Amino acid sequence: MASLNISQEQKDLIDSLREAIVAIDAERSKEIAQKIAESNIDPKIAIKYSIAQAAEILGKKFDCGEVFLPHLVMAGDIMEEVGSILEKNIPTEELTKKKIIVIATVQGDVHSVGKNLVAVMLRSAGFVIHDMGVDVPSATIIQRAKEVKADMIALSSLLTTTMPYQKEVIDDLVSMGIRDKFKVIIGGGPVTRQYAESIKADGYGTDAIEAVEEARKLLA
Amino acid sequence: MRVPLWEILSRSKEGPIVEEKQFDLSIFKKTQELQKKYDIKYDPEKPVDTNGDLADRVYQAGVELFLYIGTYCSTTKRIIKVTEKELRSEIDSLPPEVVLGQGEDRVKMVHRDVEGNQEPIVIAGVQTAPFSDEEMMFKILMGCAMNRCIDGIWGGILLKIDEKYDVIAGAPSEIYQYRKTAEILRRAVIAAGRPGMITINNAPTSPATIAMFDEERGLRRSDYMEVTGMSELKVAYDDFNRTAFALAHEIPIHGTHSSVIGGFSGNPEGATIVSVAGSLQLTTIQKAECFRCGAVESRVKSRGTRTHLWVAGTAIQAISRNTKLIVDGSMGDHPGAGPGTKQNLYESAAGHILSTVMGGHSTEGNRKFVVGNVCNFGTPLESRWMGEVCKAAVGMDRELGSHIVKYLLSKYEDKVADPPEGETFEKLYDQEKLQPLPTYWKLYKEVKEELRGQGLKFKD
Repeated sequence: MASLNISQEQKDLIDSLREAIVAIDAERSKEIAQKIAESNIDPKIAIKYSIAQAAEILGKKFDCGEVFLPHLVMAGDIMEEVGSILEKNIPTEELTKKKIIVIATVQGDVHSVGKNLVAVMLRSAGFVIHDMGVDVPSATIIQRAKEVKADMIALSSLLTTTMPYQKEVIDDLVSMGIRDKFKVIIGGGPVTRQYAESIKADGYGTDAIEAVEEARKLLA
Repeated sequence: MRVPLWEILSRSKEGPIVEEKQFDLSIFKKTQELQKKYDIKYDPEKPVDTNGDLADRVYQAGVELFLYIGTYCSTTKRIIKVTEKELRSEIDSLPPEVVLGQGEDRVKMVHRDVEGNQEPIVIAGVQTAPFSDEEMMFKILMGCAMNRCIDGIWGGILLKIDEKYDVIAGAPSEIYQYRKTAEILRRAVIAAGRPGMITINNAPTSPATIAMFDEERGLRRSDYMEVTGMSELKVAYDDFNRTAFALAHEIPIHGTHSSVIGGFSGNPEGATIVSVAGSLQLTTIQKAECFRCGAVESRVKSRGTRTHLWVAGTAIQAISRNTKLIVDGSMGDHPGAGPGTKQNLYESAAGHILSTVMGGHSTEGNRKFVVGNVCNFGTPLESRWMGEVCKAAVGMDRELGSHIVKYLLSKYEDKVADPPEGETFEKLYDQEKLQPLPTYWKLYKEVKEELRGQGLKFKD
């Protein structure tokens, strides 16, 4: 941010917004975002150095056990609100379309912990997330992906006997002739990169952090 | 008097409708409040609470959380609650013992005290893991059952039908194949000379789990039905199906629930409170007569981390000291390290010793945390280890338990996030003689002697 052409006062505002998000202080975050919106700070710069960096900081804090899943959920809510305040000043034609990801734990599987983590981390990373929950049939996942015009489908499976549903989603997309419409990433306890390759998934994440990196790479 | 299942189901249709996300966040908010109110603090220097006062406060907090927040029914999207009076009555009405197994293999699972002399029931086996084929599954399970220091074994799953067709949860193949595994399990205990031994298995869905019960060839009324409370503090109708079947057929019910360290439970303090609340859910909502009071790490794939040991150990102690419920600890049941490594035995020992000392049984098998679809990723020797360690820890005081746990943590803690993979049964065992290969046996004996040196009193 040092190389940017902004005043110290503006820089302080952006810094304080980032700190307020990291502190999960919703009221203060909204207050500062409003001040930024009323100033002449480039909203794109404000978003990049406050929201995006806050998400990165929180991801690292989660990884070393300093913050927990609920913090990420609450921070995600704040980022969404703050984002919409800042985006008001960006002309519609300049608004970058956010990438949309549909995420679910596949049919027959009620494990939610890993899927929740990935969903929250992806949302913090700036993706629009449609979390369909657990035990979701393949056809329902595909239907939702079509409805919301998703860019990616993320599938979690914690059981060896539910992993075939990850393959089923990919096979169904092929059968329906829409495989190229969506990137598909998979993950979950028993799932490996080799398995992901064998079922022709586009990506794989061994944990939430890796899943976010993979999504960023695939949707760049 | 227990609140009937039908009353619980009625409440699942009449309770307040709540958005799941709001329920999840309310767990966090309430546990944050309760840990301040009851002065519950995790000290990483003390992974074992040797005093008990803290555990008593955790129990109070767990009761308050359960009564305040209730259980979220993910099928109806409603909250199920019980009153304090109903909870007390439920706890007082539970049987003092659960009889499992048959004939000479019959055992009684009773309430265990902290540092108690009551015999812990040990149900080992390569829990819910995949096996390559029927013969291999039979062989490994028989080998597990031959260990006289354990009281029961878990089954697993064969991933293919006719070596070709995938077994898929929720599909007919799941029912067919789990039923088949129950038959193999039964044949294995008979071949091991322990026909009445407890046999347990749990399929992803309730129809397949129910299909395993068959007095003649499958699971019996003398085994138990495993019911799962979804993390965290949730239940679905598929879980209630298991309870309903078990009640109708008079099968004992064993419940399992895990708080999530780093999940909606938040910090370790929150997770230990949620572990207690989850246990109360298993008894009152899901009608379990005995249950695993557990936790799981959100970031590390091992049930032997320092935080996990503190969270689950404190929660087990909390329930053991404050109720007469039958608790199963099963810490160490899923080591991060694989079979054939010293770390696997260290992690397993730390968890199972602590479980036993804190008043728990150990009934969740013993297998590597993540086995993926690698078949035969476990041997009978890990089951023997689980049995030997649990029985050796009977009557041990918390000070010695703490000393051994700290010693064990010093051996593996720096490697727990990136543990050695280990080897499959084929690489570690003589498949004909069903004996560990000399290198694995040597490693086993070395670790055993090492722990004997630390004060663990093995039976031989």
